[in-house]
Amino acid sequence: MTAVAAKPAAGGAMNPTAMGVGFVLLIILLAICWVVAPVDSRLMMLYALIGMVVGGVLIGFGTHFVPVGGAPAAMGQAPGIATGVAMLAAGAGLAGLFGGAWAAEQGLVVAVVTGAVGGGLMMAITCMMVNFIYVFGMGIPAASGKVKVDPITGDTQPEYKSQGTEGHGLPFVSFVGGIIGGLLAGGGGTLIYLRLLDLYKATLPTMMKATESQIMPIAISAAGIFAVGMFLVNAVLTAYNITGTIEGPHDPKFKRWPRAIVASAVASALCGLVAILIVVM
Amino acid sequence: MTVKIEVVAGGIPHTKIMVAGLLASLVCLYLSYLNVYTNTEMFSFFGGLAVVAALLWGSHTVKVLCSYGIGTGVPSAGMIAFGSGVIGMLLATKFGIAAPIVALVLAAIIGLILGYLSNDVLNMKIPTMVKSLTELAIVGAFTLMGFAVLMTGSFTFANLTSGSVTLLGQVMPSYEVSFIGGSLIATAFMLGALAIQHPFNACLGPGWTQDRMLMLTAECGFLSMIVAAFMSFALVTSGAALISLIVALVGWGYTYTEYMKLGKRDAAAWLDLKPIPDVEGH
Repeated sequence: MTAVAAKPAAGGAMNPTAMGVGFVLLIILLAICWVVAPVDSRLMMLYALIGMVVGGVLIGFGTHFVPVGGAPAAMGQAPGIATGVAMLAAGAGLAGLFGGAWAAEQGLVVAVVTGAVGGGLMMAITCMMVNFIYVFGMGIPAASGKVKVDPITGDTQPEYKSQGTEGHGLPFVSFVGGIIGGLLAGGGGTLIYLRLLDLYKATLPTMMKATESQIMPIAISAAGIFAVGMFLVNAVLTAYNITGTIEGPHDPKFKRWPRAIVASAVASALCGLVAILIVVM
Repeated sequence: MTVKIEVVAGGIPHTKIMVAGLLASLVCLYLSYLNVYTNTEMFSFFGGLAVVAALLWGSHTVKVLCSYGIGTGVPSAGMIAFGSGVIGMLLATKFGIAAPIVALVLAAIIGLILGYLSNDVLNMKIPTMVKSLTELAIVGAFTLMGFAVLMTGSFTFANLTSGSVTLLGQVMPSYEVSFIGGSLIATAFMLGALAIQHPFNACLGPGWTQDRMLMLTAECGFLSMIVAAFMSFALVTSGAALISLIVALVGWGYTYTEYMKLGKRDAAAWLDLKPIPDVEGH
């Protein structure tokens, strides 16, 4: 058995029992947060955790839009950006997170939108440069292998597709998908960061017996590293869901998103709970 | 259907590497506690050795996991290892001397749940998924804790969040000059994440040999340790940082030459050429 013949194992089927267990886990984790939190700050911590779950779900859902091509794309044998989900998420999503972090003092909405725009912009630039290299560097046209007609522009695809490939380049719908994915993931990452930052700003001064301005470096750094960790966990779980590659929102694999939503929600709740426990314990 | 691309043929069995890596990094982390007993920071370099031990175990786990066609590329395994590891490690540092043990338990719980999510909710159906993600989370937590010890000489939350600056002869407490407050943890995160995923990514294929990959892991670990040792000059005494740096340099030099030997052993053929040959008269 060669590496080429080995196909990823995951199928498209849902596992209802596991999804149910996932929901129960999510409720349990939220309940633990409610129970362990000090009585006077219960609501604040629960809101923070729910914010992190929403952020994680946005990252998980957003990653489905991003055209991840992987190694075959690097050889021009499959459409998408020629790298893995982890690298793309780290590039685009973290660019968004940093963008949002700069705007953290402008309030929740402005910061989340800034983060989303940062992530979307990074993906737009990435997608455009990828197509530049495909078209002018490798000399291949953009063609999807999964659909006959581009759902947005209506351009036919099979005529441009080389034999023996699954398509190549970045068709318009993949490009748009990439930007939507960047928007969602960047916004989600920023939301996680902001929720944690607010929580740490409120609780660390009493815990460490210092003023708010003194603990700011720690609050920012801890919230940042937790956000990065949760971002990568969510992105990799989504990568597992789509078994590595996806063309964009028109790909049949896109229909697997409910699984990733459950997985991301539980994973974010788990990681978020641990992040909250730092200031509770 | 699950297809395994390669089989582990010969070499040290994975369980042995796992137990050895776990024990070695735990012991090294605890040996760094000599800092407290002797009231110095001279034993910080044990943190770096814990990093190397954990990475050796981790890179073999990455190999076991990625031998199944997970389709996401090898780097994703390193990323999820550290993403889940950093979360467990930071909470564990709150538990004082029990921190390494708590990190082990916490990371195992996080990894277990993430493994369940990937295997059942996301329907990966890979036999070693749960076990591998659990191991990787522990490796991530231990590696970060090792870097923390190397850079600050301690693994407790209080020491990781506060440092001191000397201003005009006055020693002033500062939260910015610290492992977490100065965001050195982010650098440690990436140093470790690259070191854990690179060896298998570089050595995979039909010519994979276990000793070569593990030697490359040790080399990557010591290389990361050199960088971390440089950063430790800011947080520990110069003498302690110098010891770390020397240990890292010696370790890296040894593993690098050994790796080159193994690389030449496994290569089909090699020619010892100058990097850019001088060509005259053209």
